[in-house]
Formats: sequence, C-alpha cells, structure tokens
Amino acid sequence: MNVSARAEGGMIGRPTPRIDGRLKVTGAARYPSDVILEDTAYAFLVMSTIARGRIKEFDLTEAQAVDGVLDILTYENTKGKVRKSRYFMRGGYAASSVVPLESPKIWHDGQIVAMVVAETYEAAREAAYKVRVESSAREAAPGFDERRPQPRQTPHIFAGSEPQVGDAETAFQDSDVQIDAYYTTPTQHHNAIELYTTTCVWSGDQLTVHEPSQYVHGLKNGLAKQLGIKPEKVRAVSPFIGGAFGAKAALTSRTALVAIAAKRLNRPVKLVATRQQGFTVSTYRAETQHHIKLGADRSGRLMSLSHEGWEVSSRSDDYKVAGTETTALLYACPNVFTRVNIVHADRSTPGFMRSPAEVPYVFALESAMDELAAALSMDPVELRRINDTRVSPIDQKPFSSRSLRTCYDRAAEAFGWSKRNPVPGSMQDGEWLVGWGCATACYPTNVAPAEARVTLAPNGTARVQTAGHDLGTGAYTAIALTAAEFLGVSLESINVELGDSTLPPAPVAGGSNATASICNAVAQACEDIRDRLARAAVQSGGALRGADATSIRLSRGALVSADGRSEELKESLSRLGFGPIEGFSKYVPEVASLPIRIMGHTLLSRGLPVMTIGTSAGDHVQYAFGAEFVEVRVHERTREIRVPRLVGAFAAGRIVSPTTARSQLLGALIWGVASALHEETEIDERVTRYVNKDLADYMIPVNADIRDVEVILVPEEDHKVNALGIKGLGELGNVGTNAAIANAVYHATGRRIRDLPIRIEDLL
Amino acid sequence: MDTYSPLKTPSLSQRNGSMTAVNLVLSVNGRDYRLTLDARVTLLDALREQLSLTGTKKGCDQGQCGACTVHVDGRRILSCLTLAASVEGKAITTIEGLADEGGLHPMQQAFMDHDAFQCGYCTPGQIMSAVACVTEGLAETDDDIREYMSGNLCRCAAYPNIVAAIKQARIDMQRGRS
Repeated sequence: MNVSARAEGGMIGRPTPRIDGRLKVTGAARYPSDVILEDTAYAFLVMSTIARGRIKEFDLTEAQAVDGVLDILTYENTKGKVRKSRYFMRGGYAASSVVPLESPKIWHDGQIVAMVVAETYEAAREAAYKVRVESSAREAAPGFDERRPQPRQTPHIFAGSEPQVGDAETAFQDSDVQIDAYYTTPTQHHNAIELYTTTCVWSGDQLTVHEPSQYVHGLKNGLAKQLGIKPEKVRAVSPFIGGAFGAKAALTSRTALVAIAAKRLNRPVKLVATRQQGFTVSTYRAETQHHIKLGADRSGRLMSLSHEGWEVSSRSDDYKVAGTETTALLYACPNVFTRVNIVHADRSTPGFMRSPAEVPYVFALESAMDELAAALSMDPVELRRINDTRVSPIDQKPFSSRSLRTCYDRAAEAFGWSKRNPVPGSMQDGEWLVGWGCATACYPTNVAPAEARVTLAPNGTARVQTAGHDLGTGAYTAIALTAAEFLGVSLESINVELGDSTLPPAPVAGGSNATASICNAVAQACEDIRDRLARAAVQSGGALRGADATSIRLSRGALVSADGRSEELKESLSRLGFGPIEGFSKYVPEVASLPIRIMGHTLLSRGLPVMTIGTSAGDHVQYAFGAEFVEVRVHERTREIRVPRLVGAFAAGRIVSPTTARSQLLGALIWGVASALHEETEIDERVTRYVNKDLADYMIPVNADIRDVEVILVPEEDHKVNALGIKGLGELGNVGTNAAIANAVYHATGRRIRDLPIRIEDLL
Repeated sequence: MDTYSPLKTPSLSQRNGSMTAVNLVLSVNGRDYRLTLDARVTLLDALREQLSLTGTKKGCDQGQCGACTVHVDGRRILSCLTLAASVEGKAITTIEGLADEGGLHPMQQAFMDHDAFQCGYCTPGQIMSAVACVTEGLAETDDDIREYMSGNLCRCAAYPNIVAAIKQARIDMQRGRS
C-alpha cells in the first residue's frame, strides 16, 4: 500500500520531548541488566592472556573450591554444545566465525576461555581469578607492519566495493596539481556506557534472553541456531539499550554460554562483562591506512582520484568496511581508481562502529581535499563547490537529492567563515593559535524491509508494535510522531513497543536505516486502518455516507472527508461494530532490488541482515550530506589542542523528530572531536594485547572538552528515497568532522597531521 | 523493615575463598533494608541486585564513568567504589528517591526539557551529580558546570544539553530554596 494519502496532523517534524524521557530521568527505564530475577546465579568470564596458541591444561582446583561456585564452563565440557552460526557477513548471525568454547585453539588475546557461574557475583569473580590456564603461545601478528602496507588482494565481500572509472594513473600524471599522501586511523572501541550484559532464563524448553541488542530478531534466530533449537523457542528482550554504536548488532560469543549455563543449572544466569573484558567480548573499529592521489587542473577541477585502503581483520574472518564506495562518488571526477585490502592479524574480528566506512575513508579524502585547496591557494569551500556533482562519477546515476552546497552556505554563514584569513598561523589570539577548518559529511541512505502492527482502540489511543530498537536515537519518539500523524490523534495517545522479538520483525538498528524503514512501515499500517475505516464509513448510514473513501483522512480524532463532512473516530468505530482495529504492514523499500522484493521479508523474519544500501537504489544513488566547520585552538607553548566551536549543517530529507535528530547530530559532531583528538585503542605489539582497556585510559570527550556546538537542519525534500522522504542521520554527523579538525590544526599551525588521533606530541 | 537474605547456599560455616558474611541495615530513599551480604558487595551491586533499585547504573565498576553516582548523607559518591557495609547508618539517596513519589525533581524536568541524554544510561548518574553540583555551589558558571560534571561520561555526548539543563534547574532549585 502506498502512503500517498498524507494525514494533516502536523506531527511529523514537530519538536517534542522524547516520549521515553520520563522513564530515563527517573531510573525507571529497564535496560536488560536491570531485570532482576529470583534465584539468579552470576557468571564471570575468564579471558585468554595470549593472542595465538593453544590451551594445554586447565587447573580448576582452586576455583572450584570457592564457596558458592556452581559450574565452570570450558571447552572440555562445552565443546560441541554451541553449533556454528555463520559469520554475519557470510549470511549468518555471528560477530565472528570462531565458535565459543569449541576447542583449545586461541585466536586472539581476550578470547573467552572459561565462564564461572556461582551463587554470587563476588564468588564468581573470585573463582574466575583462580582458574589456572596453561597455554602454549605462538608468535602473533598485531596488525599492520610499520612499513607502508603491502597490497594483499582478498576476495570481494561486497560486489562493487572498489569503484573505478577512466584511467586514474595517467590522468594523475597529466594533472597540473598533484596531492599524493598516506593517512591512518587508529583502532577504536565503542565503549557505550552500558556494559555487555546477558541474562538467560529458561522456562521448560523456552529461553528468554535479556541482552542489549540492536537486532533482537538476529539475536533470537542466531542464538536458536547456535543452541540447535527452533527460533520460536527463543525470546530476545531489549526495550532500552544503553548505547550501542554498532557493537550490539551481531551475535557475540558470550550469549550462548550464558544460555547453556542457565540450562545446566535450571535457574537464571546473569553475566555482566567487565569494562576491560568488553574490549574483546564484542567488536571494534579496526585501524586503517589510506593512500590518496588527487590530480586537479589549475582551476581546481578534479581530474584524477585514487584511493587505496588497507584494513585489519582477524585471522578467521574477512571483515572490511570498504569506504571507497563513498569516497568514489563524493565529487565530480572523470578518472577514479579505488582498491581495498585486508591484512589479517591475530585479533578478534572487527565490526561496525558508528559510520563504519565513512569515518576513516572520508577522513583521508577530506584531508587530501584540504591539501589540494592549500596547494591551489584556493578556499576549501570553493574547492568543494567547484567539484560538486549531481551524478555519481562512476556510473552517472543521479543523486536522488544532494544539498551539499546549501549545507556549506548555511554552515559557513553561521560560522563566520568569510572572516577567515587563509594563511596558516595567521589568526593568533593571545597565546592561542586559532585554526578554522571544514569538511564534507555524507552517509548513504539505507532502507530495509520492516513490519509493524498498529492497534487503534475505540477511545482513540493506539498501540504501535514493531521489533525496532531505540539506542538513544529517538526511535520511540519518531515512531510515535509518525503514528500520531497518520492516525490523526495526539502524541500522548500513542504507545510504542520496541525491542522484543515477539513483536513484528524490524531490521537491525544500523546503517542509519531505522527511522526510514520503520516509520514507513508504521505509516502503512496506519493507512491500512484508515482505509478500512473509510470504506466502512462511506457505506454506513452515518455522516460520511456516500463520500469518496479515498479522500477520507484521519484528523484530530475524527474521519474527515474532502467535502468537509466528519465523524468522530469513537463514533465510527462503535457504530461500525469494530472493537480495536488492527493495521498491519510489511513494508518493502520502494527502491529495493528484485531479490529483496521477493526474499526481503523472509530474510527479515529469520533475523538476517537485509537492506537496500544507498549505492544500490535502482536508477539513482541516495545519500544524505552535511558541511562541518570547526575552530581549533592550539596553545602556543604547551600545544594543548581545544575545539571551542563546531557548526554542522545537515540535509537528510524529511526530519521526523527534530528534537532527537538534533541531539543525534550534536552527539555525532562530538564523536568527530573524539575521532580527531581522543580515541585510540593502543596495542602492545610484543604480545598483541590492548593496553588501555578502561575509561580512564581510553580517551573520550568529557563535558569540559566541549563548548559550543551548533546543529543546523537544512530543509530537504526527496520523494525518491522512500514514500515519507526520510534519510537516516545517526551516522551522518560524525563523518568528516575528524578531517575538519585536522584541517583546522593545519590552519592554526601549518602542520599537516595525517595520522589520527592528533595529540600534543604531534605538534611539538 | 524489609528483610532480604540473598545468601542461600552454601552454609556460611563451610567457608572457603574470601567470603565473609555481614549483617547490615541500609537506609535507602528513606526506607530501611536489613541485608545479609558478602562483605565484598559494593553499594552499587547491593542497590541493583538485592534491592532492585536498578536506576543506579554500572558502567565501569571502577570509578571512571560516574553512572553509579548516588548521594550518601547529601554528598555525591561513586557507589561502585563504596562497599555496602561501609555506609550502614547513612542516608542513601538514589535516582528513584530524588523526587517525591510520582513527581519530578527540577533537575529531572530540566533534563527532559533540554533533551540532555540519548540512550539514558548515564542519565541517573548525571542527574545525581548535577543536583549535588548545584547544592555545592559548583554550578554557578558554564565553565564550572563543565568542569565539575566531567566525572560523568556521556558516550552519546549530550554535553551541551546537559549544561543547558543544569542552568535551568539551578534557577528552579534556588527559587525552591528561597
């Protein structure tokens, strides 16, 4: 069904406090680890302390002697209990191909080698520290060599992830102005404040798992597969998630172990992995390297773009983010070469982290663009303007909409860019060297199949049910606004249920697809209700008798026809003999390919990843854009780096919930500061082990690091991306920010830093 | 008085390992709870696992994130670094006890008004710290707020909205006092 018949509720786009806010400020929001069950036993993990090798022997004597210890799971007693679920990039559910507690083989430091279960958390922890593991270690590879990387081609995972057109090398050689540089980004960990927790409880053969999840249907189906039981025997519950950023999407090793322990003990088992363990319990953003070559003519027009990337993956899996899909189509350029390489290391398998591909890859390109502007003595905004494009340079497909120039205009004006003196080091303020920089933000508009059920009660209240997720993104609010709009009722009348695998399947909350996918599904379910009510109303003896059913809208608690007649909703429902009326929708993205049209909902119901990505949206490509400006201050003597001011202007189609959208973009810009200046997981290369595994040593911004942040929402209409015209924006805002800051550091100091994060020592 | 006895097995006489059981009374949000606990239990775990007061959050369990902030005798403390047995006889206030039943503290209202959170997980700790900052007179300027709230990490990075919320609540709290 099309959602062409728009209601006139004025709800979509209305700024409103988030509807789950009261629960969150009173402590009443129940995150998965807040479910306290009677007779719970507590689990504590034991992790490998070598990166590569084999376990020779366990000595559990001391651990088993600790009072209250109930069970200790090792490969010796658990082998074969967890079945293989394929790696999620190979059509499965798991964050890694390595099956938990399958064998004595050690794949990486921090691998789960045992799990202790005890009456209390304290006893489990004590016993875990008393588990003795004797291993034989082999030499491990920590990541990239110190030398520049050696290309090592691996099979394609995504077709078309290395876009090319023309002859980039020849065009580069023939170019008037050339930039040829390497850039790197570090290992990073999501470090949501909520830890990785799992509570499992069996009732007969029915398992309930309380675990923070970005994909409850994936969790349910994947866990069922691992345990060899039917998916309907597993329920995954996660109504609130304490931050995820990509780390709570794929199935990690811990979950099946907790389920097995709960089964063996026939009582609930709760695991709260420690902050340190979290660095290898789930995934991370792997370090990347980039070689960029830009060739331009004297007017600044790009003639050649070459972007080769290197990424680290585990020994077991071919994970890569392959961001050249995006960098290849950011600017007009007749000759493009891209390549992506994987370097395997003895590490756990990396995974998605907020704007997985764009954060590292766009950093490289947008840094290089600034270098090109400097080489041309051209304003960096002007360089972006000259190279703006309406079509993908690779295949000439048009962008469904592209408001990049408007974003630059709005952000530059708000920032006061025209007052910038382009000479590096020229804008000193007392002891502070002031630098202004900018960069482009972009993110593909991904849309997925989604299901939703809407139930409208005779009293005008409605219940919206879909197994979507609110990671803090504002999903509850955006969905409620959509339902209120299409049902023509107040926001307060809408009750939204999310994060439970017993609800109709919704896609993974990843790739910034959720608002577009789920709100379209909800709108369709509401239209289903309107349609049935309207058809019944025109045939009855009421006020709307004989009216054109298709013209009837739901507005302010009434059915209203185009000729001005109306009937109260309650009246229609009761007279028509309806109790509560239920609308249901299986939304298929308008831009979906034939395979997704045919198979999409089957895959969705199995909890598998299925999504139409921005570069495979039929006859066009679809992206959201933004422009970001930053002020950096570098202290003349100490070289302390501060970011007192950020301005971002973003165009992302129709904004459903401006209050929460603004907060997401605000937080994203600050993520950009973190990416540029703070975050780096450091590796002891002698032993291939992370060394800063806590929130004191893993740097993220604190309140005092941030001052003025301005978010501008640029109006944009795009009827091609989906019926409601929604583009995602959760991952848009922290793309390019790292480059804008590096560019500002150059402007402040004349020093071009190509390796993130930028620290004081880089500017000495 | 409510009585909670989480230690069921094994019997306390068969001690092995480091467990020492303690009997204590915790006074939380104006209510007394009698508990028998392993002496190693932190206030955070006692609140969450024994008293089901799960508004107080575990984010790091080592005093680095601030999500577990509660008030003890009106002062903000990190409940993950505080043994439950060490605060017997003291008045403990958690996010659940900040406002009267069914009402909102001005700080809670201000956090809602300014969308000063996203995922909401650090929020109870932010609010408990923010209330203490205001009452301690450490929230008089924006710079003070930023500095004295820097022990509470927000990974969603709602910092500018948190500052705005605290400024609003400061005025409301000062009005309420006078």
